Amino acid sequence: MADEFPFEISPMFEGERVRKDDMYVELAGPKSKGFELVSAVDIDEMEDGKFTLIGPDISDMEEGGRYPLAMIYRIAGELVEPDLEAIVERRNHDFQNYIQGVMHLNQRYDVWLRINKDSIAKGLNSFEDIAKATMMLFRNELPFIEKIDATYITDIEKVEDELAKAMERYAARDERTRNLHDEDVDTFYGCSLCQSFAPTSVCVITPDRIALCGAINWFDGRAAAKVDPEGPQFPIEKGELLDEIGGEYSGVNEVAQKLSGDEYNRIKIHSFFEFPHTSCGCFEVVGFYMPEVDGIGWVDRDYTGMAPNGLAFSTMAGQTGGGKQVIGFLGVGINYFRSPKFIQADGGWNRVVWMPKFLKDKVLADIPADIVDKVATEEDAQDLDTLKEFLKEKDHPVVKNWGADEEEEEDEESTGTSTAMPVFGMPDPAMLQNIPPMIGGGGGIKITLKNAKVSIDKIILSSKK
Amino acid sequence: MKVVAITGKGGTGKTAVAAMLIRWLVNRDATILAIDADPDSNLPEALGDVVEETLADQREFLLQERDNLPPDTDKERLLESRIYSILAERHGYDLLVMGRPEGSGCYCFTNNLLRNIMDRIIKNYDLVIIDTAAGLEHLSRGIIRDVDELVVVTDGSRRGLQTAERIRDLEKELDLKIRHMFVIFNKVTPQNRERLNKYAQELGLEVAGMVPFDEDIARFDLDGKALSELPATSTAVIEMENIIMKLGI
Repeated sequence: MADEFPFEISPMFEGERVRKDDMYVELAGPKSKGFELVSAVDIDEMEDGKFTLIGPDISDMEEGGRYPLAMIYRIAGELVEPDLEAIVERRNHDFQNYIQGVMHLNQRYDVWLRINKDSIAKGLNSFEDIAKATMMLFRNELPFIEKIDATYITDIEKVEDELAKAMERYAARDERTRNLHDEDVDTFYGCSLCQSFAPTSVCVITPDRIALCGAINWFDGRAAAKVDPEGPQFPIEKGELLDEIGGEYSGVNEVAQKLSGDEYNRIKIHSFFEFPHTSCGCFEVVGFYMPEVDGIGWVDRDYTGMAPNGLAFSTMAGQTGGGKQVIGFLGVGINYFRSPKFIQADGGWNRVVWMPKFLKDKVLADIPADIVDKVATEEDAQDLDTLKEFLKEKDHPVVKNWGADEEEEEDEESTGTSTAMPVFGMPDPAMLQNIPPMIGGGGGIKITLKNAKVSIDKIILSSKK
Repeated sequence: MKVVAITGKGGTGKTAVAAMLIRWLVNRDATILAIDADPDSNLPEALGDVVEETLADQREFLLQERDNLPPDTDKERLLESRIYSILAERHGYDLLVMGRPEGSGCYCFTNNLLRNIMDRIIKNYDLVIIDTAAGLEHLSRGIIRDVDELVVVTDGSRRGLQTAERIRDLEKELDLKIRHMFVIFNKVTPQNRERLNKYAQELGLEVAGMVPFDEDIARFDLDGKALSELPATSTAVIEMENIIMKLGI
């Protein structure tokens, strides 16, 4: 198929590196400028297969030189729509790497190409060959493209002009991807990287929930699963929506049951208290419920002090991690604070009462305006008493629940649903089973109090009927 | 394509041996990738080179910036391109410095990306020489997989030999796919030559070579001169030829 081109075309050339010693020219890259852009246009607007070059061609370039390069493709077809632009654009990398002697790296305004000396010796002297081969691959591999044309630019001024325009298009696209939500997709992604040390952990990655480690968003899951569907990141069909607010899906539940070895069979991805997501140990931030204020605090890995509940990140992390559903604690990635569905089953931001200043500042722009000043940091509150005072003074939404304390607790016990137990609270025996290793499994419990100031009015122990 | 990892206790001269091997091999028209995988070592210096940015810097960049990137950025492509941009391209060899170890936080995903990237990069070379610390960090994390030859450099000291033994056990424990393991004795004197050979036999280690104590190396080291500039007549350099034969590279 490739006889018309002065080079071989095959996926086996992917990953082929052009070293400086072997390089004829370098295009775009970290020391020059360039970009790649695919845009969807009306089918009548264009002539299929047309190639336009603005600026010097390969044959005009000096050996060992470095030049700017913009590659602009326009595509059209009945099924072509702007939402596909990014997916199509991504393939330029693959297709150009299929060309022997051409190395294409990175994406968008960071593209970086090199052409091998050998290719020049074999007769490659025009961008037209590269563009035509790329267009042929686009059409073969993505049949919904009915028409495609290409404009390559090597003139620096023109590259800069067009780059400015392209930046606007990228920004518009980013706006759209940032607005992608759980309800807009049929597939979530799972990750089992942490199962080596948390064997029952199942990480569910959705557009509105980044992986606990903060490293894998929904798009990363999609990219990785596409490259290696048998790899650590894999697709999860959503299935039926069972609880919209909590974020419970039949497909997720099935995967959870299977991958946890029947350890649990339900996950609500936006819930803190009911069937919460498991926590592996990699999480960037751990959330902790404080019954004394009926609010949730969060502490990040880098915060070395104590949270108002008297515990440090490391202590709570040890307690939360391991791949169990731990009621009262929840590990999350920092980006989850930016999610519009952030613990929405439990009041979202209205339930957040404390976080270290560093963490709060990091996500400040995404905290709702009416709550932002009501979330305490270590500068406002260091323990439960100062926290209570702060919340009261700021009239935090949780304060409304304080009066109803007694009733609520009884309610919850009788229905058997779980609230979190702080370590220093009085444990309901049923709940203790949910509190992981720090307390020790099996018979007996060990409580170590260090530097503790405990005041207790009354302790009543009775067997549960 | 062959991957040779050179390791050993600090101070035994493993970096010197790595640099001399690279120097010798560059003359043979093979494309070589040299990887400095020991945060404490100075392979670039031994090669008379200066490298400013490390792979770890790129990894940290990704960790710092990941939430600010466009959401659908292909992070593997981004990381690959950044690693290519810090790969020092010299005549006859490229040099990659791994840099400082991981910080706190989770590196699982990033390391998974690095594994794919390193697999692809390594395939482009005839020979990959890795200077790695005795803990074999990058090998144990699988960032560099499928090492063909593991070479432990040791001096005549008992502790050096113990390290060799420990590395041999570690290799088994980690279940690395290493084809052969060799030992190179460095700073060998006529007095301890026989004894070292006997030790190696007792420990079941195959000897790839014995590098004699070399006045030139000591002098170059003090002067801060690159070992790659050692004269071809230097006794240590001559022994490299034997080692290369033995390693089959």
